[in-house]
Amino acid sequence: MKTTYLIGLSIIFSHLSFSPVRAQSGAPYIHDPSTLAECDGKYYTFGTGGGGIITDDGWSWHGGAERPGGGAAPDVLKIGDRYLVIYGATGGGLGGGHNGRILTMWNKTLDPKSPDFKYTEAIEVAASDGMEDQDAIDPGLLLDPTTGRLWASYGTYFGTIRLIELDPKTGARVKGNKEKDIAIDCEATDLIYRDGWYYLLGTHGTCCDGVNSTYNIVVGRSKKVTGPYIDNVGRDMFHGGGKMVIAAGDRVCGPGHFGRTIIDEGVEIMSCHYEADFNQGGRSVLGIRPLLWKNGWPYAGERFKEGTYEIESQRRGYALELTVDFVRMQQERAAWFRAEDQQKPVVPVANQKLEDVISTWPTGEIPVRTSDYMFRPHQRWTITAVPEAGGYLSNPYFKITIAGTNRALAATASKDVTTVPEFTGADEQLWRIEQLTDGTFRIMPKVIPGMEGINKKFCLYSIADSTPTLAEYDFQSDNSKWAFRNH
Amino acid sequence: MRKTVLTSMLLMALHGAAQNPVIRNQFTADPTARVFNNKIYLYPSHDINEPDPAPEGMRKDWFCMADYHVFSSENLTDWTDHGIIITQNKVPWVQPDSYSMWAPDCVYKDGKYYFYFPSTPKGGRGFAIGVATADNPEGPFTCEPEPIKGVSGIDPCVLVDDDGQAYIYWSGMGIRGAKLKSNMKEIDGEMQEIAFPQRPGNNAPAGSMKVAGHNMEGLPDGFKEGPFAFKRGDWYYLTFPWVRGDTSNGQNPTETLAYSMSKSPLGPWEFKGIIMAEHANKCWTNHHSLVEYKGQWYLFYHHNDLSLQNDKRRSVCIDKVSFNADGTIKEVLPTMRGVGINQATEKIEIDRFSTASVGVSTQYVDTTNCMLGSCVTLPSKGSWMKYNDVDFSCITDGYVIISAKANANTEFCIRENNAKGKVLARVKMTVLNEQGRFRRDMSGQWMTLTTPLEYTPKGVANVVITCEDKEVTVDWLLFKNRPKYFKPSFDASTPATPDEQGFIRRWLLLEPIKQDIRSNVVFTNTWLREAFAKTYFKNQMDILPKNGQKVKSGQQTLAWHALESENYNIKLFRFAERWGQQTYGSLFWAVTIIDCDEDIPNVRLAVGSNGASMWWLNGEEALLLEGDRRMVEDDGVSPRLTLKKGRNILRGAVINGPGLSDMCIRFIDEKGNPVKNYSIKAQ
Repeated sequence: MKTTYLIGLSIIFSHLSFSPVRAQSGAPYIHDPSTLAECDGKYYTFGTGGGGIITDDGWSWHGGAERPGGGAAPDVLKIGDRYLVIYGATGGGLGGGHNGRILTMWNKTLDPKSPDFKYTEAIEVAASDGMEDQDAIDPGLLLDPTTGRLWASYGTYFGTIRLIELDPKTGARVKGNKEKDIAIDCEATDLIYRDGWYYLLGTHGTCCDGVNSTYNIVVGRSKKVTGPYIDNVGRDMFHGGGKMVIAAGDRVCGPGHFGRTIIDEGVEIMSCHYEADFNQGGRSVLGIRPLLWKNGWPYAGERFKEGTYEIESQRRGYALELTVDFVRMQQERAAWFRAEDQQKPVVPVANQKLEDVISTWPTGEIPVRTSDYMFRPHQRWTITAVPEAGGYLSNPYFKITIAGTNRALAATASKDVTTVPEFTGADEQLWRIEQLTDGTFRIMPKVIPGMEGINKKFCLYSIADSTPTLAEYDFQSDNSKWAFRNH
Repeated sequence: MRKTVLTSMLLMALHGAAQNPVIRNQFTADPTARVFNNKIYLYPSHDINEPDPAPEGMRKDWFCMADYHVFSSENLTDWTDHGIIITQNKVPWVQPDSYSMWAPDCVYKDGKYYFYFPSTPKGGRGFAIGVATADNPEGPFTCEPEPIKGVSGIDPCVLVDDDGQAYIYWSGMGIRGAKLKSNMKEIDGEMQEIAFPQRPGNNAPAGSMKVAGHNMEGLPDGFKEGPFAFKRGDWYYLTFPWVRGDTSNGQNPTETLAYSMSKSPLGPWEFKGIIMAEHANKCWTNHHSLVEYKGQWYLFYHHNDLSLQNDKRRSVCIDKVSFNADGTIKEVLPTMRGVGINQATEKIEIDRFSTASVGVSTQYVDTTNCMLGSCVTLPSKGSWMKYNDVDFSCITDGYVIISAKANANTEFCIRENNAKGKVLARVKMTVLNEQGRFRRDMSGQWMTLTTPLEYTPKGVANVVITCEDKEVTVDWLLFKNRPKYFKPSFDASTPATPDEQGFIRRWLLLEPIKQDIRSNVVFTNTWLREAFAKTYFKNQMDILPKNGQKVKSGQQTLAWHALESENYNIKLFRFAERWGQQTYGSLFWAVTIIDCDEDIPNVRLAVGSNGASMWWLNGEEALLLEGDRRMVEDDGVSPRLTLKKGRNILRGAVINGPGLSDMCIRFIDEKGNPVKNYSIKAQ
C-alpha cells in the first residue's frame, strides 16, 4: 500500500516539476554502448550482454541489434565495407577473476535481417592473465586517419589501460606488437584523433550504482598515439590525470563509454550511456550530446532546451525577425537638467507586448529578415519539440514560432524562409537544430518544398546582414551559424 | 645467363617450436640439415596443397612442391624462416608449373654454398638435378642454366670428403653415386649407356640413356630412395629410406630409414639395419639427414603430423641419435617432444609430451586444421604426463598460465620430474560455480588458468602434469615472472630521496587489518573519521616500527615491512597479496621518516589513494581523502605545512573495500611543483 502510494506521488511530482523530455526517444536502454555505427542509413550501438539498439531516424531507438559472444562493452568500427566488432569476452572481475580476453570479429552488415548478416569467428587480440595489474575488458577502436593504422585501448580500474595495434585488414593483432600501458584509474576508454592530436577518453568514478553512480568521462591528449596522454594541467593519465568532458546534470548521471560520431564538418556528437536517467526511472540509457571543442579540448555541449530565444546570426549579430513595421515604444523621458525630473521615482519600463503590436502585422505570410535585436515581440521565437515528427541524431524536430502565436518559420520552394500564420506540422515547418563544435548552431529545415527527401544540406544562412535565406551549410562561414539567446 | 632467383627475403622468426614437428606454420619435408657458421641450417622440400585450379594432368593429393625455403636455428628451438630461396618458374631448365621441387641438399666448398635440387626438366619427363650457388647459406642463390649432365633421378646428396673431393648420390633406378668435378657442377667420370624397359603403367617406350656414376653395391633389396651420405671417424655411412616389408599380396608396407657402412665413399657397402622403423600411422614416406651439432648427433626426418588426411603433406621432426662403439647407429624412436630446451617463459605445447601413463591420449584441438596443434587428455585421478627439458633459470617469482578444459570441476598439479615430484602449482578448475553471481557454464570450453608457483625448480627440469581429480585436457602452458612491485627490504642506514617527481617510495607498511567492507559506498566523512579514530593496535599513533616488528590487532598478528616501491605509487594490493591475509576489505598503515637539513615552510602533503585515506605529519592531522577514491596524482592536498629541520614523521592509513588499493604521496610547493630537498629514512 505504502509503496503504491509513493510511486503514485512520484509520478505526479515528476510531471509537475520536471521536464518530461527524455535523453532519447523510444527504448534507448543500454549499458556500455559502442560508438554509433551507421549501416544503410540506420544507426546501431551494441552494449554489454549481447544485443544492441537501433535507430532509423537518429532519435527513436528500438532493440534488435545482434552480437554473439556475450561478454561486455563492445566497440564497432566500419573499415572499408565491413564492420569490425571488438569486445571483452570475460574479465571485469565478473566472478572474481581478472582473466580477460579481447576478441574481434567482422560482419558485412549490422542489419540482422540482411542476407549478408553473418559474423566471422571471433579471434583473440589481447588477454590479461589474472596476475597482472590489468584486466582485458572495455576495448575502444581508433583507425588513425593519418596512417591507416588500427589501434585499440582496453582495461579497467584493475591496473592499467593498454594500447595495442591491430591489422585493419584482418582485425588480428599486428605480429610482434607489444602492448603499452597508457593510463590508470579509468575504464571504458576510447581513442580519437583530431587536428594532430590523439585523445584518450576514459571513464572515471563509480559505475553501476544507479542514481548514485558518479561515473564521468575525462580526457588527456598526446601528439603520438602511444602517449603519454597529458591533461590540461600537465598531468599524465598514467598518474590518474584527466580533464572532464561530461559529468552528471540535467537529471541524468553517470555518463560513461564515450564514442564520437562526426556528422558533418563541425557537427560532432558524443554517445555514452547515463548510468541513470531520472526521468526514466533511473534506468541506464543511451545519451547523445553535441561534442564541442575549445582550445583543442573536447567537452560535451548541452542538450538543446525548448524555450523562447533571440535567434542571432553570427554574421553580424543581427536577430531573426518578422518583416513588420517597427512599433516605437512611448517613454516619459526625464531631463537631467530639470531638478524636479530628478526627484521622480525610477519606474521600470515594461517590455513591448505581443498584443501591443500584433494588430499592426499582416495576417498572411510574413517574410523574415535580420536586424538589431531590441527584444520586441517580432524578434522573440519560441522553440518547441515536435516529438511525433521524428528526429535526427541528438534531438527531435522543432517548430519555431513567434512567442505567443502559432506563426511558424517555414522553408519555401525558392529556398528562402518565411513565416506562415499557423503551424500545421508540415515538414517545411520542422527544423533540425544542431550545436556545432564551436558552440554555435546550425538550423536546417526538415524538407524544402519541391526537393526530394529529408534535407541534409541547406541551412538557415545569412546571405546579407539583413537577409536570411537557405544555402548550403558551410562550417567555415559564420553565415551558416546562429546563436540562441534568452535575454 | 646467370639469373638470381631470390624472390623473397622475408625473415620470419618461429619461436618456441622445441617439439615435433619443428615448423608449424607450413609443411616441410625431406629435411637436409647442415651446420654452417655454427648454426643449423635446414633445407627441406616445401609441400603445399594443390593450386586451385590445379594444372591439367596434376595428380590429386600427390606430392606438390613449388619452391624451397631455408630455415636456421642456433638452439634447435627457435627457427628463423629466411623465406623462399628458389622457386620453380624462375629456374631456367625447370618445366613451369610442374610442382616437382623435391628433396634438396646444400653443401659448402671453398667459400661457396652449392644447393642441389631435383625437378622435372622442360619438355621432358622424369627428373633431373640442378645446382644453384650462393655466397651465404640463406642465399641469394643463382641457378645454373642446365641440370647436371648424366644425372637422372631425385634426392641428391653431396658429400665433401676431408681431402676436398666431392661425391654426389641420388636415387634413380636404385641408388647411384659418382665423383663431382672440383667445380661441383659436373660429374667426374665416364657415362654408361643404360637400357631401361617399358614400365607397367607408364606410356614411355623402352629405350636407353647415358647415365653417370654407378649403382651403389651391397644395399638390401626392396625399394630405396633419398640417399644421405656422411662421414664419421673413418666410416662412411650411406643412409636411405627403405621398404623392407612384403609387397606381395597387394600389401603396401611403408618406408623405414636404413643404413649401410663402408670404409670408402662409393662403397661397396655393408648393410647394417634400421635407424627408424616405419611410421606407426602409415605415413608412406620418410626422408632424413643426420648431423652433429654442438657435440650431439641429431636425426632429422619427417612425418605427416599436420596433415593426417594426406600423407603427402609432411612436417620435419628432430630426435637425438647416438652410435655404438663399433660405429653402428642406435635405432631412434620418434617422439613428440623432439629436441631442444624450452625456456619456461615460452608458450610450451605441453601436449607434445615425452612420456605419459597408460590411457593418456592426444587429439587435435581442431581436426579440420591440424596446424592449430594438439592437446592432451589425462583421463582420471593418478594419470600423468611428462614433458622433458624446461629451463626455469629465468623464473624468480613465477606463476603459471595454462590452457585447459574439463567437463566437471577438477584439479591438477604441475610437478617437478615425476608424478610424485614437488608441486610447482596446484590448479583448481571451476567450470561451473554454483554460487557464483555471474554463473557461467564453462564445461568443455577452453579456459586460461593462472596460478602462482608454490615452488620453482632450479635450472632445467622435467615438467609433469598429474590429474588429481576428474578428467582434464591441457593444450599449452607458460611460466611468467610476476612484476616486481617492491624491493623487499632496504638498508635503513642509507637514506633515500624522493624520486624525480617527488614521490616517496620508501615506507614501513603494516600487513593489512581486516575490515568488513564489501563496497566503498559507506565512505562518508563521518564514517571515515570514526574508522580512522579507532585504535587497531597499541601505540598506533606513535609507533616507529622496525622491519619485521609485529603488532596485535584483534585476532590478527601483523608484521611491519620495510619496503622500497619499484613504482611511484605504492601498490598496497600487491603488498597485501604477498604478505597479508586478505587483499580486499583492508586497512593499511604506513609510516615514513623525512629528514630535512632546514625548515621547509609552505609545503603541502599531496596524496592520491585508492580508496580513502587519512594522514598525519608529526602527530597532527594533515589530510583526509574522503569518499570512494581512485588513486590520482595530487588528488587532495593538506593545508600549508612546515617540514621542520631534522626528523619528521609522516603516518597514514588507507582503507579500501574491493579494488586495487594503492597510494602516491609527495610534497608540493605553493605552485604545485614537487618538493624534493629532503631525505627519507623510514626507520
